[in-house]
Amino acid sequence: MTRSIAANIRGLTLAIAMTFLVTSVGVGYWTLVSGDELNNDPFNPRLVAAIRDRPRGFIKDAAGNTLAESVQVPDGYKRVYRDKTLAHATGYASFQFGASGVEAAYAESLIGQDPGDPLSQWRARYLRERAPPGSVMLGIDPKVQQAAVAALGNRRGAIVAIDPRNGAILASVSWPQYDPNRISDPATEDAAWKQVIADPDKPLINRVTEGLYPPGSTFKIITGAAALESGVDPNAKVRVDDPWQADTSWGSYFVRSSSRAHGDYTMADGYRLSENIYFAKIGLQIGGPKLAEYAQRFGIGSPTHCDINASKGQLSRTGVLDRPTLVADTAYGQGELLVSPLQMALVAAAVGMGGVMPTPHYATEVRDAQGHAVRMIAPGAIGQVIRPETARALTTMLVGAVSGPGAFAFAAKIPGVNVAGKTGSAENPSGTPHGWFVGFAPAEAPTVAVAILLENSPRGGEDAAPLGGRVMQAALGR
Amino acid sequence: MIAVTRRRPELGLLFWVAALGITGSVAVAAAEVAGFRPQQLVVPVTFVVIAFVLHVFLAARGVRGDQLLLPIAAALTALGLVLVQRLASNLLVQQLSWTLIAAGAFAATILIPRDLTALSRFKWTWALLGVLLLISPLLPVIGREVNGARIWLGVGTVTFEPWEAVKILLVIFFAAYLEEFREVLAQTQRRFGPIPVPPVPYLVPIVAMWAIAMVVMVFERDLGATLLFLGIFLAMLYLATGEVFYTLIGLVLLLVGGFVAYHVFGHVAARVDIWLHPFADDVRFGTGYQLVQGLFALANGGLFGAGLGNGMPERIPVVWSDFVFDAFAEEVGFAGALALLALYLLFVYRGMLIALRAPTPFLQLLAGGLSFIVALQTIVIVGGNARLIPLTGITLPFVAYGGSSLVTNWMLVALLIRVSDLTARVRGTP
Repeated sequence: MTRSIAANIRGLTLAIAMTFLVTSVGVGYWTLVSGDELNNDPFNPRLVAAIRDRPRGFIKDAAGNTLAESVQVPDGYKRVYRDKTLAHATGYASFQFGASGVEAAYAESLIGQDPGDPLSQWRARYLRERAPPGSVMLGIDPKVQQAAVAALGNRRGAIVAIDPRNGAILASVSWPQYDPNRISDPATEDAAWKQVIADPDKPLINRVTEGLYPPGSTFKIITGAAALESGVDPNAKVRVDDPWQADTSWGSYFVRSSSRAHGDYTMADGYRLSENIYFAKIGLQIGGPKLAEYAQRFGIGSPTHCDINASKGQLSRTGVLDRPTLVADTAYGQGELLVSPLQMALVAAAVGMGGVMPTPHYATEVRDAQGHAVRMIAPGAIGQVIRPETARALTTMLVGAVSGPGAFAFAAKIPGVNVAGKTGSAENPSGTPHGWFVGFAPAEAPTVAVAILLENSPRGGEDAAPLGGRVMQAALGR
Repeated sequence: MIAVTRRRPELGLLFWVAALGITGSVAVAAAEVAGFRPQQLVVPVTFVVIAFVLHVFLAARGVRGDQLLLPIAAALTALGLVLVQRLASNLLVQQLSWTLIAAGAFAATILIPRDLTALSRFKWTWALLGVLLLISPLLPVIGREVNGARIWLGVGTVTFEPWEAVKILLVIFFAAYLEEFREVLAQTQRRFGPIPVPPVPYLVPIVAMWAIAMVVMVFERDLGATLLFLGIFLAMLYLATGEVFYTLIGLVLLLVGGFVAYHVFGHVAARVDIWLHPFADDVRFGTGYQLVQGLFALANGGLFGAGLGNGMPERIPVVWSDFVFDAFAEEVGFAGALALLALYLLFVYRGMLIALRAPTPFLQLLAGGLSFIVALQTIVIVGGNARLIPLTGITLPFVAYGGSSLVTNWMLVALLIRVSDLTARVRGTP
């Protein structure tokens, strides 16, 4: 027997009421819960509206020079960038295409609603009042920045210099550049955006933080740290015969030495002459899990905690080292490793600082419209990633890699200063190897750490080392 | 001789509607750069006059029964005018004209046909008319394609969405059809174990309706109409039989059809992908731009909203027809959005109450089906705006910009009031 229609009407009404309830909860989620995340989305035009309707705050370097400001145009304001070499650090602020770099990361601070100022946030949210914008100060040191720009020239690549004591980024160059003025100008944004998106060299990418490259021999710093902390004796001689394979199960696969070497190597020799077979052997000796653990400690494959958008890198495609050949290749910096120049600068900084890795940050301070500090940006260290004695031993060997007899990285030398560093030539799918240099100075109490990356550089690390020397020299004021 | 009725509660509520429409319009105008100008009052005042005229018309005709539906529909329409003024002021006069036509259609539906139950006698006529209207956009010359969906008829500059009329015709047809068969079926119910076997008179229309819905989805590329079409049918089938199982069959058929369509038709897959990953980089600047901008608007709403005129709805493409709800919620917040949903729920509740009391199965099914249309449309578009379900082109009843929708929704209100009036007369209540 079918039920009465009246009963069915009641049932349907109940179902409708329940659906309305669910819908209300959904609307409540978006209006109340998701608010913080979506309101701070760099592509949210409400944040970016401040670009057009109101002046946005200044972005300034450590010396107080203006890097970005809002200027009045007939129908509102537009952003003007004074230093194109810092295009990737400041980013752009386009009404249509959102914001990037510091413009995105400090979007709230730049419209007078810094998170360090809860009162202004509260007033903005509930009273819809807007404080006049202040400024965001960067750690960029113009002297170091100019040296880095001159050093890189118009080669595709990246240079980053960081103060290892506090993580402030002193210089940041990524080539090729783009013109943030054109992307931030309503009159040209469409054409400029199309152009940069179509460019095969991908100028929009900040190669310092987002560029991912195989680290090559610079990764041997991490392998060495893992070995030292696993009880490997750095003075023990390891036999190197090029080409080398662990056993015949590797078939036609061999690890090659860049200098076709035959001989007995200590770890210091391994660094000085950048010997792949030495590190492949000790990598296999300590094993994949240990190597993976240290890569992770140094932040490869995990967030860098940088204040602007930065890549995590990768240890391997699967995240583990489970094949002997992969362990061997990873140990000398190839395999499936991918890292950003910023990550390698942090590795150098951590070694220089006795194993304490700093948190990298572009901005150092947020100021209000009157110039008073609203918030100091001084994030604590990421942590102690290796033991101090390990870091000291590595530092000694890395000084040797720059100034020892026949050292590969000799060109990074600075007169009167002990420099620690490591070159790298990273084989990659796009052809000519990438050239790397990472280092820090003065070795005993560093005030600067650098990473240099030259894409497809003919002589690999040999090209990169002198640039590292020049940038560190500028930072040391010599 | 018709006795004049007093519709006091309705009159009282209409004053609130007048206050809502006029203050809303002034608030929006005041927030604009140009500021408030007295001539802007013409639109809300005209609407208030229309609403009061309709009230007087009902009273003069001696219409009894429900007195809440007219004020609720008027409140929603007033809100719609305020939002069109806010979101697309160049369309405001056009929307006001449509409101006038809608009021005319409302009055006409109160008058014609003289005998409401006579509607059921011509059920096959309604069915044929409905199907013809449904496939009419596929015809050359008069069919129009808008935003990828071919669901419009156009002659010159005047366009009409036949689907809007079809939904009412469908409800009338289903009500008549199901009334006729439900008595027969009560005795011929067979079961296969616990599963009721749908008798042929049910099975045939289930399959036919599903097939027609799929045709709409495939050839007219309108997910919303498909969903509404099947939804109305399944709801009415449930009202008539009380068999949840039939509804389940229908839902399974819908899911199967949807699954196949997802893999075969680009427009369905695109809608689903936007829904699943609106924030993916290749989606948020492309096909998902509209939804992402809508969600930004919702997020900016907070509890009490930015205030009328203070949001940024202009960043949402076609906001005045597809995303009024998000635009509204940004400026009045979660509180305002809840109030709007409550208004719809109240409308549906009153409609269902009318259905409950109606004297014949036909009238019960008719009122239930009509109320369900409003409920389903609201859920589908609000759910789409809030990313609970894939977005479809369904309009928010009474509020969203659009003439065909407004006219048919007001006819729907008139039909509900007539069922209520008839019930009151049969029962001898006011």
